[in-house]
Amino acid sequence: MLKVDNLTISFRTDEGLITPVQDVSFEVKAGRTLGIVGESGSGKSVSTKALMRLLPGNALVSPDARMAYVNKAGETVNVESLKPNSRALRQLRGGEIGMIFQEPMASFSPVYTIGNQMIEAIRLHRKASKKEAREIAIDMLDRVGISNASARVDQYPHELSGGMRQRAMIALALSAGPALLIADEPTTALDVTIQAQVLELMGDLQRDLGMGMIFITHDLGVIAQVADDVVVMYLGKIVERGATAEVIRNPRHPYTQGLLKAIPSLDTLHDRLSPVPGDIPSPTERPSGCPFHTRCGQMRAGQCDVVEPPEVQLGEGRAVRCWLDAEVSQSAKLEIPA
Amino acid sequence: MLRFTLERLVGMVITMALVSVMVFIIMEIPPGDYADRYAFRKYSGTGVNVTQADIEAIRADLGLDKPMVLRYLDWIGGIVLRGDFGQAFAFETSVVKVIGDKGFLTLGILFATLLVTYMISIPVGIFAAVKRASAMDYGLTIFSYMGLALPNFLLALLMLYFASRWFGADIGGLFSEAYADAPWSLAKVWDLVKHLWLPAFVLAWSAVAYQIQTMRATMSDELNKLSVTAARARGVPEMKLLVKYPARLAINPVVSTIGFDVNRIFSELPIVAVVLGLTELGELLLKAYLDLDMYVAGAILLLLTFIIVFMNFVSDLLLAWLDPRIKLGA
Repeated sequence: MLKVDNLTISFRTDEGLITPVQDVSFEVKAGRTLGIVGESGSGKSVSTKALMRLLPGNALVSPDARMAYVNKAGETVNVESLKPNSRALRQLRGGEIGMIFQEPMASFSPVYTIGNQMIEAIRLHRKASKKEAREIAIDMLDRVGISNASARVDQYPHELSGGMRQRAMIALALSAGPALLIADEPTTALDVTIQAQVLELMGDLQRDLGMGMIFITHDLGVIAQVADDVVVMYLGKIVERGATAEVIRNPRHPYTQGLLKAIPSLDTLHDRLSPVPGDIPSPTERPSGCPFHTRCGQMRAGQCDVVEPPEVQLGEGRAVRCWLDAEVSQSAKLEIPA
Repeated sequence: MLRFTLERLVGMVITMALVSVMVFIIMEIPPGDYADRYAFRKYSGTGVNVTQADIEAIRADLGLDKPMVLRYLDWIGGIVLRGDFGQAFAFETSVVKVIGDKGFLTLGILFATLLVTYMISIPVGIFAAVKRASAMDYGLTIFSYMGLALPNFLLALLMLYFASRWFGADIGGLFSEAYADAPWSLAKVWDLVKHLWLPAFVLAWSAVAYQIQTMRATMSDELNKLSVTAARARGVPEMKLLVKYPARLAINPVVSTIGFDVNRIFSELPIVAVVLGLTELGELLLKAYLDLDMYVAGAILLLLTFIIVFMNFVSDLLLAWLDPRIKLGA
């Protein structure tokens, strides 16, 4: 339902042009969940903002980027060529693609009731009278597990607890009836127990409503629970992709392996955590060659730090961008896409 | 909201009571009183020998011999119960008659100025924030600094000069000659409106410049809020989005300084009034002070402070309406 190709995003800043997203391509299938994993600064949020045309004015999207979205009516919308402030773009925002954010408190306006903001969204995208929209809003709040929804609908965001707010945020995004939901670290700001509840809720809702979903997180553990497919991003590049189970069982990129090892586990309680060494480099000082070579334990001098590895196809939808695999596939005479 | 309004109302009444005491004390501070002044005026140059007893008699006649507390109670009681602001000694009539139209005209100038200030500065400030770092934005910033740097009486002079040179228009004063002494009518009100824009513009000048910058700064902050992005991501049309989400919060510092703006307008009004030949209270206040005509001075001071306190009350209510968290105590 959504196919993104060659997406490169740059920002004009005082320190010059920085490019947090480079040549990113991915696909979301209807009713499925794509997980995007990466540390902060890897470009995962920026990519999805581009899908909604929400990038700030100093952002440049490469002219060869293609974002093809198949809407509810079955028509293909080329998101990159929609005019700003056009009706088609406004319909896409909210009505076709819903978005929920990391900070539920900050994503509600504090001066309007939950209901006011929900009714606004509903009436923008559905034919409904104020009264009908209110019914839909209450029904949706009820559905996300907010008790006493008919009273909560008239409350202000600050009157709700953190978990409640995130549920309300989900209800707000879903009330306009989007076919694709982009969830940008929706559980990061929540307690672990509430996090689990919200994840379960999102899974249920997705199944019930048949939505596609893009789930952004830095936590591979969360991805394992919710995503069908996963792309791992590092410094604006997709370094590994594949079916979630496959990627987690058999990670190929040293970065993915590092992320998996860094997840705390109860089984290995007495071992020290093994974080990915080093820090993510500043976007103004991108390393040459493979962007991960500065932190990679298997770095080969003269190759990894000089030439960027190609994306190596390992099977249906499975690919990795690492010299280790490029060598293997080369020796096995497999095709390497340039 | 009702509870909040009542609380603020009670607060306003208490403030006004304290202000009235202060005003009365200020009226008492200048040495001497109107009895001295009256005796001097009546008998100077006549060769009559004025004794202390004569002055005491005048004082008793005017009711100025009673203790201060009693006179205060008389004064404030008259105002609250009968709308009677006391005697305007120098005019030998009541204060209400002396102030009369001047009070309304001052109010007219005040509200016209506030209207011009906010009608210009709020939309322009929003515009500058949205078009941040554009040529338009820089142009407005330069204009703002000019606005702050140029004293408004000078602006008034310039405008008078150019208006009479280019248009031959008589733009001073508040009325055309035909209406100056005419009784109030719709045509006279319209004539007033036609004259009011100039003093309003002159008085609003520096506040517009200042409030554009305030609005631009807070609006820029609000535009970066996640809630604005979130609303945009729900497909809210851009114009509606700007007004409903960031502007409603960004307007807060402008609304909360309404009282300061009123205060500033009152302090700048007398000098602008002299340049533009306006009828207003400032001149009368000065004259009343020179004459030790204490009830006139007191009434004007009380009126001006009442307007400031009242506008602060209005600003409180507006703030609570703009941001419901205020009245909810969150």
